[in-house]
Amino acid sequence: MFIFEQLFVFFQQIFYLIANPINVFILFGAVLLGIIFGAMPGLTATLGVALLATLTYGMDTSTSLVALLSIYVGAIYGGSYASILINIPGTAAAAATALDGYPLACQGKAGKALGLTTTASAIGTLIGMLFVITMAPLISAFALNFTSFEFFLLAFFGIIISGTLTSHDLAYKGWIAGFLGLFMACVGRDQLQFYPRFTFGLNELDGGLEVVPVLIGAFGIPQIIQVLKDKVAGGEAKRFQRILPEFTEIFHHFPDIIRSSLIGVGIGAIPGIGEDIAGWVSYGAAKNSSKHPERFGKGEISAVISAETANNSCIGGAMIPLLSLGVPGSPPAAMLLGALMLHGIQPGPMLTFDHPLFIFQVAAILLLASFAMWITGMLLAKQVIKVLRIPPPVFMPIIAVLCIIGSYSLGLRIFNLYLMVPVGILAYFLTEMEYPIAPLVIGVILGPMADANLRRALMVSKGSFLPMFTRPVSLILILVILLMVVSQISWFKIFTKRISNKMFSRKVNKNIS
Amino acid sequence: MKKKELRKADFITSVLLLLFSAWIIIETLKMPMKDTFGGVQNVWYVSPALFPLIISIFIMILGVVLLIHSIKTGGAKYFLDNFSIRYRDISEKNIRFISILLALLSFVYLNIPRIDFFISIILFLTFFISVFYFDDKDLLKKLTLFYFTGSIIFIILFAFGISKVLNSYYKYSTDILSLFFYISYIIYNWIKVKNNYIYKKRLIVSLITALIVPLILCPTFRYFLLVPLPKEGLIIQMMHNIYYFLK
Repeated sequence: MFIFEQLFVFFQQIFYLIANPINVFILFGAVLLGIIFGAMPGLTATLGVALLATLTYGMDTSTSLVALLSIYVGAIYGGSYASILINIPGTAAAAATALDGYPLACQGKAGKALGLTTTASAIGTLIGMLFVITMAPLISAFALNFTSFEFFLLAFFGIIISGTLTSHDLAYKGWIAGFLGLFMACVGRDQLQFYPRFTFGLNELDGGLEVVPVLIGAFGIPQIIQVLKDKVAGGEAKRFQRILPEFTEIFHHFPDIIRSSLIGVGIGAIPGIGEDIAGWVSYGAAKNSSKHPERFGKGEISAVISAETANNSCIGGAMIPLLSLGVPGSPPAAMLLGALMLHGIQPGPMLTFDHPLFIFQVAAILLLASFAMWITGMLLAKQVIKVLRIPPPVFMPIIAVLCIIGSYSLGLRIFNLYLMVPVGILAYFLTEMEYPIAPLVIGVILGPMADANLRRALMVSKGSFLPMFTRPVSLILILVILLMVVSQISWFKIFTKRISNKMFSRKVNKNIS
Repeated sequence: MKKKELRKADFITSVLLLLFSAWIIIETLKMPMKDTFGGVQNVWYVSPALFPLIISIFIMILGVVLLIHSIKTGGAKYFLDNFSIRYRDISEKNIRFISILLALLSFVYLNIPRIDFFISIILFLTFFISVFYFDDKDLLKKLTLFYFTGSIIFIILFAFGISKVLNSYYKYSTDILSLFFYISYIIYNWIKVKNNYIYKKRLIVSLITALIVPLILCPTFRYFLLVPLPKEGLIIQMMHNIYYFLK
């Protein structure tokens, strides 16, 4: 009975959403905008969500959520257009798609490839949605047992894991970025005693750094600088007649879809790890499990399907820790968290009590967005690819204006701009030196939670850190954090390598005997 | 970034991180630890200094780790060997970077708070689009220098209070001056590209785009999203007059 009740509430949410014509208009409009954002090299899903967050500030929560989730879904899918048609990934999430998508387009199968990616992306989003609706309430219920120590450690866990996994150079560069983010969160009056910290006597800093302008600066400005400085060019798109929704082919690749969806959801659920990693991991898994790995890179259908299913199912995965723990699963989810906070919604374990229908609403929007994405993709692909002709030196300055007016319009403060630009320049230099930006952003968002909860926990324990080691969840978090830190030390790496070599050699010896 | 350059950057960053963490520690030690603040007797574990102190310690440790790594991998040596203060020819990438910074900084810190928002956007976009769309190093240098000179003149106008004196005669004087700057930038551009058909076409695209964007954005934000624009001067006032006349 309980399941039927839940299903009833879910469909009720869908009905409420589509009963309002404005929602339907915004749904399709935001998906289309997302596809355009995703398709244009240099623009990312995160930037799309960031810019729309500023425009939807005045709307009611459900309408703005429709807009933000739709642009997110559309942008992740839209990246495949540029990957397949011009061999330049529109977004990092679609980088793996380009490896086989473009060879398919060169063989005159661009329409087929786009049809497959459209359908695979829609299925991926749907599977991600199923996990949101089943897993998020369970994790929320579990997280209700968390005390302040666990919340403090959760913030640390978030920046350490995302720092470790998103750093392309040294793992501790990710941690440094995370701690810099935590420091930025300290600016302003502290929550417990209202003491001004690092405000330099500026009244504008008393309230702390505004999250959304900081996020727009951190994601938008480095992107603008990189595209214009490095002359990121557009390209001549391959021609195609019509998009073919090859359902038989999709059915044939059903195991690939299921595997890729699970990979996408799993990677999405890890804090700060985005759709790009999901795409690559899924591509690798598809190659390893394929009977014909030699075909990969030459126009293999299963490769395209795997990468696209995974990056879209990652959206649902990223929603799980966001809704249940208040920890964003990916950079666009971090932006979404900032937007939700603007609307007075604080995701986390209490979400199911404060807003009991919120998770259903998110799931309903993901379902509708996947349908809208499929329909828009099928009907408007030919028109959308015309945007690929716009040269980056023309559209990037417009994006800069949108970032600036968007940041200003939140709170109508020019000070937001004074803040956004230096944060953006700092983020650019960090990116150039191969520091990941996701941990920095997670640090900015989770900093206040970590600060207040640490002090609250110590107040309860009268200054003792002992409960941190006696409570099972916090002990697990400490051990995982320590393991991640220790795993970066060279002697530990040698030690684990030796053990694995010994185990492997024993197995080989057994097999020989 | 190449590996050697990266390790050199790591060395510089690690030193900066150590200095930064030391500064945080000094600042946090000024915060109330055990004394009273706002009538509340503090204990160390509720102090506002606790969390920043923990962060600064972690940043310091990671800074040391990065420093050791950069020394071991030759970053410090590479930095010391190549350390010299002498003029080198600036690469195109660096000129591009300087142009981007000039456009962004002049737009945000100079124009937006002081010049009509519509004119600010036009100025920003005309410069920002044209300078990169031509894709010509020589033009990039010249246009950046022209825009930089104009920005310096405006800084002098604002810093020495000349703009206030001018505005006391006619309240939109600075807006008119910025329009003059905009027109002179276009003329300078035109002189530079008039013999090249492709560049002329690109200049026209830049000018049209720079005009269309504020024509859409300003009314949308002002009348639909009800966002008062940062500085409503000559053009925005004209826009108000037209809007309320039509209404």
